[in-house]
Amino acid sequence: MIHITLQKELIAAHGTMLLDINIDIQRGSLVTLYGDSGAGKTSILRMISGLLAPDKGSITVNQKTWLDTEKRIHQKPQHRKVGYVFQDYGLFPNMTVKENLLYALEKGQSKNTVTELIDTIELGDLQDRKPEKLSGGQKQRVALARALVRTPEILMLDEPLSALDNTMRAKLQDYILKVHKQYNLTTILISHEISEVIKMSDQVFVIENGKIKKQGSPIEVFTTKQMSGKFQFSGEVVHIEKEDVIYIVTILIGTNFVKIVAEETEIGTIAIGDKVIVASKAFNPLLQKVH
Amino acid sequence: MNILEGKITDINTHGSVSLVTLQIGPVSFNTIVIETPDTVSYLKKEHIVKVAFKETEVIIGKNHDHSISIQNKVVAKILDIEKGTLLSKLTLGTSVGKIIAIITTNAAQQLQLHIGEEVTTMIKTTEIMLSQ
Repeated sequence: MIHITLQKELIAAHGTMLLDINIDIQRGSLVTLYGDSGAGKTSILRMISGLLAPDKGSITVNQKTWLDTEKRIHQKPQHRKVGYVFQDYGLFPNMTVKENLLYALEKGQSKNTVTELIDTIELGDLQDRKPEKLSGGQKQRVALARALVRTPEILMLDEPLSALDNTMRAKLQDYILKVHKQYNLTTILISHEISEVIKMSDQVFVIENGKIKKQGSPIEVFTTKQMSGKFQFSGEVVHIEKEDVIYIVTILIGTNFVKIVAEETEIGTIAIGDKVIVASKAFNPLLQKVH
Repeated sequence: MNILEGKITDINTHGSVSLVTLQIGPVSFNTIVIETPDTVSYLKKEHIVKVAFKETEVIIGKNHDHSISIQNKVVAKILDIEKGTLLSKLTLGTSVGKIIAIITTNAAQQLQLHIGEEVTTMIKTTEIMLSQ
């Protein structure tokens, strides 16, 4: 179990903001911090990793105290076992993929860790290339592998996928889920994408102005009304077209497009780019075996 | 989406499926859902819930005493007809509130529907969703 209590006054866009959170994370789970920019999500990760000191708080990770301001315990970042992946990769440009990974090894740590990670994250063909020769998705895979070299107790992913296109994003999500399970990691993800949160996380914390506004399983949190429709997905509206007396709404769910017929009152204020829940009764869909 | 408000009067659960009876105004409606009183908090007798169904799932009949497998029936007066090439939208005034139906323009023509006429509005039990 990981207990995190943090308080810190942060400088926000409109004056100061008090970040005040209390989070419990089950070992081995993947949790998401969801919220607008400036809500304090990155500051939380920075305080967990020790890069930013809170005004008050405590962090215990599997019975070890990383931070306790009352007892004046403040473990240095290098003594906290965290892996950190940012949006902008942060790879050393003058080193090859493999050298980037080897550089992250601790003193005395076996090089086998790197070989195994290259295997797991399928970097074999890329290992001798320099970062500039890699695509965004490939660089992010290397960054993910590097974050895992020291077998962290907490893997932190700060919007790692937001610069990637949808196909690449879905692939990276699968890699993250794979290593999360394979290495039994406890993972904290920051994400803006509801569909990503639903796919990836066991639990989501909605952060607003430095406070936890809501928490629970993604479906509980994002379906505002509990609806009895069992065929439920969340997606983003990409197109709305009027046909006769109805509207045809195209929605991107994960990497699939679906079309939904809607009536004028149902459309209401829904516009392109809005996040929506698509729900139907479980009685309607047809099921056919694919040969 | 048509949304009405109803009070749960009976819940008949078998396995993970429940047949829920609702009182909506003077009319009784039934819906079948894959939920039980243990899986959702709103599924309790006397609870007021939202009853939702799609406009395209509303069936229109012309006479009142149909021998038909659809249990949810309510008498309606046609308030408005908006005819499109393929589909038409009917606005219906009923004792449970306003209901919108989308049917084919062919069907509307065959039934010779006109504003002010009284019809029966029907919704299949498996097409009704409940929410808090």
